[in-house]
Amino acid sequence: MGNISRRDFLKLGAASAAVLALESQFRPIAYAAEQLLEGGRSVNRTSGLPRSFLPSTCMQCPAGCGIIGYVEESRLVKIGGNSKHISNLGTLCARGQAGINAIYDPQRLLEPLKRVGPRGSGSWEPVSWDDALDEVASTLGTLKSGGDPREFVFLTGNPDADYLGRRFTHAFGSPNFIGSTSDFDANKRVADRLTWGAAGDMPDVAHSKYILVLGANPLETGPNYVGFAQRMIQGIRDNQAKLVVFDVRLTNTSAMSNEMYYVNPGTIGLVTLAMANVIMQEGLYRDEFIRRWTNVTPEELAGHLAQYTPERAAAEAGVDAAVIRTIATEFATTRPATTVTDASLSNFAAGVQNERAAMLLSIITGNIDTRGGLCLPRSYDLAPVNPEPPQPPPSVLSNPPALPLAYEQAAAGTFEQIRNREQKVSALMTHNVDPAYSNPDLARVEEVLADETLIPYHVAVTPFMTETARFADIILPETTYLEDSDIIVRSSPELVPFVALRQPVVPPLEKSRPFFDIASSLAGAVKGGMEQYFAFGSVSDYLEARVAGIGGLQRVGGLDYLRQHGVWYDPKSQPDYGAFRAGGFRTPSGKLEVRSALMAEAGQPALPSYETSASLSRLGDRDMAMCIFDTALHSDWKTGNCMWLDEIEHHNPVWINPRTAESLGIEDGDTIKLTRPNIAGDAKERSITATAYLTEGIHPRVVAMANGVGHTAMGNIAQAEKIPYKEPPEVLRDPNTELVWWGEEDGSGVNPKRIVPVKLDPVGGGEAWGEMVVTVAKV
Amino acid sequence: MPAASRGEGAGTQALEAARARAAVYGLLARVFAGAPAPELLAGVRQPQMREALAAAGIELGEDFFAGDAEQLARRLAVEYARLFIGPGAQVALYESFFVRGEGEERPQLWGEAAVAVAAFCREVGLETAPGRVPDHVSHELEVMAVLSQAEAESLAASAGDEARRWRRLQVRFCQEHLGRWLPDFSRAVARATGGFYRGMALLAEEQVRADCEARC
Repeated sequence: MGNISRRDFLKLGAASAAVLALESQFRPIAYAAEQLLEGGRSVNRTSGLPRSFLPSTCMQCPAGCGIIGYVEESRLVKIGGNSKHISNLGTLCARGQAGINAIYDPQRLLEPLKRVGPRGSGSWEPVSWDDALDEVASTLGTLKSGGDPREFVFLTGNPDADYLGRRFTHAFGSPNFIGSTSDFDANKRVADRLTWGAAGDMPDVAHSKYILVLGANPLETGPNYVGFAQRMIQGIRDNQAKLVVFDVRLTNTSAMSNEMYYVNPGTIGLVTLAMANVIMQEGLYRDEFIRRWTNVTPEELAGHLAQYTPERAAAEAGVDAAVIRTIATEFATTRPATTVTDASLSNFAAGVQNERAAMLLSIITGNIDTRGGLCLPRSYDLAPVNPEPPQPPPSVLSNPPALPLAYEQAAAGTFEQIRNREQKVSALMTHNVDPAYSNPDLARVEEVLADETLIPYHVAVTPFMTETARFADIILPETTYLEDSDIIVRSSPELVPFVALRQPVVPPLEKSRPFFDIASSLAGAVKGGMEQYFAFGSVSDYLEARVAGIGGLQRVGGLDYLRQHGVWYDPKSQPDYGAFRAGGFRTPSGKLEVRSALMAEAGQPALPSYETSASLSRLGDRDMAMCIFDTALHSDWKTGNCMWLDEIEHHNPVWINPRTAESLGIEDGDTIKLTRPNIAGDAKERSITATAYLTEGIHPRVVAMANGVGHTAMGNIAQAEKIPYKEPPEVLRDPNTELVWWGEEDGSGVNPKRIVPVKLDPVGGGEAWGEMVVTVAKV
Repeated sequence: MPAASRGEGAGTQALEAARARAAVYGLLARVFAGAPAPELLAGVRQPQMREALAAAGIELGEDFFAGDAEQLARRLAVEYARLFIGPGAQVALYESFFVRGEGEERPQLWGEAAVAVAAFCREVGLETAPGRVPDHVSHELEVMAVLSQAEAESLAASAGDEARRWRRLQVRFCQEHLGRWLPDFSRAVARATGGFYRGMALLAEEQVRADCEARC
């Protein structure tokens, strides 16, 4: 031996052996391997190595595309689309493929961590799973047995995909299962529920002849992203559908359109109502459909809509009255036609009204649930998993009294409610969510998260050190979606329901654990009756229970079929257009509720209406409306540290029209400051600085910024921290950061949510960031 | 280390050395596997270990041996998180981060090196726990411990050829893997901290260097 003598070495050996004898946990590496269920087999054509592949479901965004994980030597080497999947038909977007960056994120959290020092100080102590679960279970157990379980709050990113989180919360005895609104369009969901009794829609764009896009960008983002975009291209190309877009920004969708019109910010709802008015006045509506299937008469509706003249809309929205008349006429006379709506229509204080106005166009033209029209979503209702925990009575967080129609979804307001002590919180669990990145008014969210009098205990269940996890007291390292299991039901753009499986394509990395295991362990340790709801023998038992009610799937092998194929749908099933004709709509009247009693009860106009936005209609000279848009490369917070995505999209300069820029003395590339006016209850000036990007592709009174970058946590890549490579021995680095070329050039972006005030649609509870006004100045 | 020569004395010597190697690698594997267990620290703080480390020229610092055991465990756990977990810049625990594979555009978690370690393990009949990253420093050190233990068992059973095979595998594994990156890792740790982790990293470096250079 080099520097150590043989005698000393043997001494060291003896002493080391004595230490190992003391350590009870010594476990040799060789032991019986737990076999993953077998998928298909293939061979890597370049290396010649055998390669296995397993189907699963993506979770990089809410679309839930079918994926195939290709595994070589236990390593996931590629993620591709599952061609058997009825939604995405084998395609997969950049985010889905970059899932590899998430599972093998060098900064992934792989063991439980406990906070050391003040909350948010960034100092952590690794603890064993046993200790971590004991601690969490003891705190939650005390709350459940000796306190008020309703003081437990569970924040989730995607409520539809977090059945286990809801079950855990309800089993615990709390109604406070709150879904983040950042991924989901709360206002649109409420508008849909009110009008036709189901949350969401599915425009049958593949078969449309006329596609009217209102404040949406479906070729780049959307709840069914690549699956929907494919159908849209099918409609445009194969079916020669005309594509017309109204927006404040030149989107990728408008770039593909036949006609695109800029509207003044916040006025698409008015333009929509003016078009409906034209259709009624010109007699282009479907009289019989309105009388039979809505709760209004054409006469009532025409009378109500008469106030929204094309001239009024032209004056306020900045679109020619002649254009409004032409588009309205085309929409009503080209069959089938549909609208496609999204954030630039619904993220306003009148978001629910706007969405209801848009639905009106399809309703009065009889394009509801017809081939090529605006269709109801179709998905399987999974049977309850017995015993299902009883749903605890609502609380001010799950059903805010000020938002009578919002349920489990007003997350943007939750932190303000906690700050105002509307609900006492004793323990918070965050799961698959990052409010300290996604919510409006981040500084205030951070203040609440840091305040131990408001949130005495915070458990973050997360694979990554998110902006929110920084404020946790304990972090439970969950697996990524690629090592996890669940059942997914969604509505497909093919209008045929399907059921899909998410299963581990590789085993959980290091000490990370799937959420099923974490929730089951905690429920078993907290007890007090909640353990009965997690008494599944194994994760397979749980999955079996969830699909037990789907007869067609059971006949072909149930869960085994899903394990092999990833997805099941009835191969004989065809879109059942117009099924409502047999049983009516799932609304109180069984009809399309154009007149909504619930809206009236909430103090809103019962018929789809428009009210000029107070903030947007009085823009001062330096004031601009602000638009925050999603792109195809990031899913809000979640994809922040994915190298492949950040390399393409890592910063978000402020889109500003050259004419506007000139009047403000701003040139391309200048550093500019965006400041929001002071709002009640917050004396601090909130501003961000960013780079100006001059483009004709933006309305002159609007500035726009992309969402998905501007991280203050998540990892070095997300923050564009290049830690320069130096020759060994200096290797204090994540080697990936050496390739971060954009840090100095472009920076890592700015999070516009920092200055978005908390403003909600007063019925939907969804964010109204579209109402935001900023002053813009060169720095 | 003197090359093994024929004879019973040499056999005993080789057995002692193999056992010592198994124990040292086993200890090091524990040290870098995660936050230190109190039993592990208690063991390293025993006079026998302290003396042996001092003789080998490894300093763990007065702080390590003095003071409250519980506080020490806590302090080192935080230190472990700071050094190896983050947030911020940290020392990577995986060979793939230090040695870039031929087909790799950039180093990555579970890169080519990890695949090679897994292949090595399969070849010699070791199974890696599912999910465990094969080129984690602790896993690689444990491979050395298991190979050394196998050598010791063969020697004890007077299976000389078998023992030599295990020894050759150790040297090969060190040359193909640990030797290519552990010195860099060790120096990175030494640069970032003092005391316990620095000492243990240097001990690992010494041991790996010796095994890389061993003739067998």
